[in-house]
Amino acid sequence: MYLLIFLSRRLLQGAAVLLIVTFAIFTLLRVVPGDPARLIVGGMAPDEVVEQKAEELGLNDPIPVQFIKYLGEIAQGDLGNSFVRARSGSMGGAVAFDDPSRGDRAEVLDLIIERVPLTLQLAGLAVLFSLIISFPLGVAAGLNPGAWQDKLAFFAGSIFVSVPNFWLGIVLALLFSVHLGILPSIGYKGFEYTILPAFVLAIEMSPFIIRTLSVSIAQIMQEEFISVAPLRGLMRSRIVGAHAIRNASIPLLNLFGIQLGSLLGGVLVIEFIFDYPGLGRLTINAVLQRDFPLIQGIAIFISAMFVFINIAVDLAASFIDPRLEY
Amino acid sequence: MSGDKAILQVQGLSVGLRNDPSARILDNVSFELGAGKVLGVIGEAGSGKTVLARAIVRGLTEPLTYEAGQVFYGGDDISSLSPKRLADIRGNKIGYIGSNPAGALDPTLPVGEQIVEKLLSVSSGLSRSAAKKRVLEVLFAVRIPSAEVRFHEYPFQFSGGMMQRVMIVDALVTNPSVLIADNITQALDVTVAAQIIRLIQELRDKFSTAILFISSSLPVVETIADEVLVLQQGKIIEQATPSILINAPQHDYTMSLLARLPRIWGADISGPEASDAPTLMAIEDVHRTYMVRKKGTFRGMNAVQAVRGVTLDIREGENIGIVGESGCGKSTLTRLLAWLETPEQGTIRFAGEDLSRLSRQELTKLRQSFQLLLQDPYSSLPSRMAVGRIIAEPLLIHGSFKKREIRDRVLQAMDEVGLDRALENQLTVGLSAGQRQRINIARALVLEPRLLILDETLSALDQVEQSKLFELFDKLQQKHGFTYIFISHDMALVRKVCHRVAVMYLGRIVELADNNALFEDPVHPYSKALLSAVPTLDDHPFKAQEYLLEGEPPSPVDIPTGCSFRSRCPVALAKCETNDPDARVLVGGGQVSCHLVDENQPAPNYQIAAAV
Repeated sequence: MYLLIFLSRRLLQGAAVLLIVTFAIFTLLRVVPGDPARLIVGGMAPDEVVEQKAEELGLNDPIPVQFIKYLGEIAQGDLGNSFVRARSGSMGGAVAFDDPSRGDRAEVLDLIIERVPLTLQLAGLAVLFSLIISFPLGVAAGLNPGAWQDKLAFFAGSIFVSVPNFWLGIVLALLFSVHLGILPSIGYKGFEYTILPAFVLAIEMSPFIIRTLSVSIAQIMQEEFISVAPLRGLMRSRIVGAHAIRNASIPLLNLFGIQLGSLLGGVLVIEFIFDYPGLGRLTINAVLQRDFPLIQGIAIFISAMFVFINIAVDLAASFIDPRLEY
Repeated sequence: MSGDKAILQVQGLSVGLRNDPSARILDNVSFELGAGKVLGVIGEAGSGKTVLARAIVRGLTEPLTYEAGQVFYGGDDISSLSPKRLADIRGNKIGYIGSNPAGALDPTLPVGEQIVEKLLSVSSGLSRSAAKKRVLEVLFAVRIPSAEVRFHEYPFQFSGGMMQRVMIVDALVTNPSVLIADNITQALDVTVAAQIIRLIQELRDKFSTAILFISSSLPVVETIADEVLVLQQGKIIEQATPSILINAPQHDYTMSLLARLPRIWGADISGPEASDAPTLMAIEDVHRTYMVRKKGTFRGMNAVQAVRGVTLDIREGENIGIVGESGCGKSTLTRLLAWLETPEQGTIRFAGEDLSRLSRQELTKLRQSFQLLLQDPYSSLPSRMAVGRIIAEPLLIHGSFKKREIRDRVLQAMDEVGLDRALENQLTVGLSAGQRQRINIARALVLEPRLLILDETLSALDQVEQSKLFELFDKLQQKHGFTYIFISHDMALVRKVCHRVAVMYLGRIVELADNNALFEDPVHPYSKALLSAVPTLDDHPFKAQEYLLEGEPPSPVDIPTGCSFRSRCPVALAKCETNDPDARVLVGGGQVSCHLVDENQPAPNYQIAAAV
């Protein structure tokens, strides 16, 4: 029952957020310079063809009218067609205006769905790596404030946070792909192509996780229920494993919801460096080509993901700590 | 106590500090606890009581260190056992209950699960379902209502008293032969504390457990212990049975401890006499309800009726006490009186002015005349501000004083409350609770108020500091004609200083009477119950066996119909269920809201059958 009420309330709120975000993205893209109709038909097309295309796409209608039409389409699962990408996958930017392939544009939704699994795989692996790196460091630091474990975690965190991800990406590629030849780093032909970019992302994320973990573990170890637990007869391993980490995981979960933003930012750069065919590379190309429907679609998709992951984070947190209520 | 029957023997136990080799937190402590006996330990704050409790089960944490001594449990020296053998004893054969039940369990797991976890980790070969059965059994034994449901509830869903019962279960579930109870009633309301003491007395027989009962309250120890140790600065200075200790103390310190105990009842004891004086603050039928979201509903709200129609006149120059259990609306009333919140119904007039009709400027000006003093001297002072600046703050807020005048008034206020002028430019770090409370008082004083509202202001202080501050309050009252409102759960304090006392229950004043009338001849059954719970060495006119209530007040969300006290009232009549009693003025000038009063004047008497 609680779950049902929680989900219905939060999903309604999430839908409202998405509506606002969609409107903002839609409007912004309409007011920036660059005529979409001209982009579609190509630079060499005569003005009347441009005008005709604009009329056909409804670009001469007022923005609110266009927006409502767009919403109607989204509701049917249609995010529109790319301006420049053909279904076949080839770029149509420089093709003449009467080339037949112009009528055959790729669906934005298809483009996104095709790339999402790869990006999710990258992000998931990155999160896993960062947890593997951060847990031993953060927990040890939290249990021994002021001792060498604490200092080690602090130094490691400082170094990780200072290393620029593009630099680390290039150096690791040079080391593992060129010199050692154990891991591939360009493009995607199988799972092993995810490992290096995921590791770079993990290094970027882990300082925040280490810090949050060590601070919250140190704080929880001061709590009374931890200090009386040995007197109640609990073993230290159980106190730390079952109670301290459990309580410390709530700030960690919240951090996760927020860190998602920087994870996506990281994905953009990393995918570009490793030429990884995920959502990030798709976004960069879409921006470079002013492919408005695609940019719009990706932006809405990402904000939807943001909203839903944060709902999931809050739900998970309220299951761990029933005092929380969202 | 004969040595051969002793189950726990402490020999020459000394505890020091890691960085200070000469420090002795415990100094050569030796005693024996006989099987099935209750040994009381009494001492003031800082005497080493909690350290003793923890040192016995090898639970000391940095920077405390063992210096010398042994603790024998059934022939084993606990202080040199292997961790494995220690785990067999600690939490299993020796149970431990601490003073803060609210923080004793993991807040994110159901209480039942956690007791099962503990039981399983100390007893090998027990199945999970058998452990659960055992936990439920003991939960029933401590009379936690609907134990099966509460088993699955979380610590935050329990009141302090219920949670302490849970911790008693947690300690007794392994059927230990020794129980260490470290100040277990300290954080509780008097009524709940009295219930817990009664429960411990019962359980002692049922479980035949020896108890080391540590407390800062001699009257509490006296009711339960077979023998009492007096601990002063880590040393045991006296050991005797309670009656010998009280009637023929040997040591000076014990004598001074006894002498400092507040007296409540007795032929020579009498509270301050109330006198008629013009009304300074008139509170008329004020109500305050909070809307709180109901968990697990889409938009449901709970109405928490914190204050439900309080009418009270505060007379110029008097001390009036407002008493009641936690959750009775005392603190909300305080906030209303200080006009930090506005009543949604009813009026508060100060010196004839209706506070709700004043403009913002007029209100700010009038506010100088009534000031609030808070309970916690630590969190109520900014830690990064010099003492002088803290005290000057109100002057900076109210009106335009010259720099020189501000400083003069600050120093004058510091002199008046007995703060050294040298503190003016220092931070509050390192100041004692008493010093801090003086800063609080000085801060209220610089505005030259007429009314001071004291919300548990003195309850964080020890007896000595409390009585010093009383003298200060008294002096200030003589000099400036202050009026004080004491909001407190400490009946001894109220008895000593208040002219009149209002007893609150579920957001209402159920009885308002002069000090002597209330303490010697209370009318409302709730007042009697409250008084019966007060621990004292005096000849108690209201025996707990006769008057003490079981259970806790109902939630302010679901207030019983009719008289709100009827659900706990031992003498409720049929009409109490439907008719809410009005406040009646009694012959002596007191007021009481009870149906028993209008039937047979004067105050009816009754007795409750002794609870089992």
